Amino acid sequence: MSQIDSIVASTAVETMEKLAFLFSFPDEERKEAFPGPAIAGKVGFNGLFSGSLALRMTSSVLPELAVNMLGLDDEEETNQELHLDAFKEMLNVICGNLLPALAGEEAEFSIDAPEVITADDSDDVIEFQKAASIVRLMLEDGHCDLIFFMDGKTPEDILASAPEQIAAP
Amino acid sequence: MAINVLIVDDSGVMRSMILKSMRLSGLQLGDVHQAANGKEGLDALNEHWIDLVVADINMPVMNGEEMIDEMLQNPALKDIPVVVVSTEGSKTRVVRLQDKGAKFIHKPFTPEAIRDTVKEMLGEEVCDDVAN
Repeated sequence: MSQIDSIVASTAVETMEKLAFLFSFPDEERKEAFPGPAIAGKVGFNGLFSGSLALRMTSSVLPELAVNMLGLDDEEETNQELHLDAFKEMLNVICGNLLPALAGEEAEFSIDAPEVITADDSDDVIEFQKAASIVRLMLEDGHCDLIFFMDGKTPEDILASAPEQIAAP
Repeated sequence: MAINVLIVDDSGVMRSMILKSMRLSGLQLGDVHQAANGKEGLDALNEHWIDLVVADINMPVMNGEEMIDEMLQNPALKDIPVVVVSTEGSKTRVVRLQDKGAKFIHKPFTPEAIRDTVKEMLGEEVCDDVAN
C-alpha cells in the first residue's frame, strides 16, 4: 500500500468508527470493485490542490450508518432521505479529515457539498483508472471503496511538499 | 438556566447529531432553531432570541465564516457566542475563526467536547447538576 493509500485508509477507518461506529479494515486482497447494489457519492474540493473524493459503499449498510450516526434505537425507523444524508455527511467528514492529513495543517481547502452519484448500483460511474488512490475496505456487513482524485498534481508532489502532515485521526 | 440554540449545518443528520449530543451532555436547552446555511442562520438570528450559535463552516449559499463576519457587523448579534463544529483542518483558518471570537470543535466530536466548550463559554449554570 502506497503512502497516500495508507493515509486515505487510516483516515477513513478512524472517521467511520468515530462518527458512525462502523468498523472496517483494508481489504488488500480485493483488486476490483465489489458487486452491488451500492451507493456512490462524491465530494469536490479546491485549495492547495483540487480534486475529489468518491465513496462507494454497499447499499445495505446505509440503515445502520444512519441509525448509528443519529444514535437511534433499533426499533426507530429511518428513511431513504436520512440514509442519503448520513452517507453524504460521512463522505464530507472523511474528506475534511483527509485533506490536512495529506497536505499539512497549514493548507486551506474549500470543500463542496457532497453529492450522491448513484443510489442504485453501477460501478462504472467512478473513473477508477484516473484515481490517485484507491482504497478498498471491508465492513462487517459489506464493502466500502474510497477513490481519491487530484487535479494536476501527483500524490508524490503533495506528500513531498507538505511541511507537516498531521497524523490521521 | 436554559439556553436558546441555533444549529447551522447543511446536513440534517449532522444537525440532529449535534442536538442529540447537546441533550445527552446535560446542557439545558430552551428553544432550538435550525438552519441549513449561513443566510438562513442570519434570518433565524433576526427573528428569534438566540443565546448560542453552533455552526459548520462549509455550507452552500453562505458559509459559516461569512455568517460570523455578518454577525460581527451587527451590533445586535456580535456578542452572541459561536461554536464552530467542522471538519476544518487548516490551522490558519481555525486561528482566524478563534480570533473572531468563535470556539472550535473538530468533527467527529463527542458530546463531552460540546458540553465542555459550551460550559466554558456560558458558565456552569447551563448544565444539569445530574450530568455534571
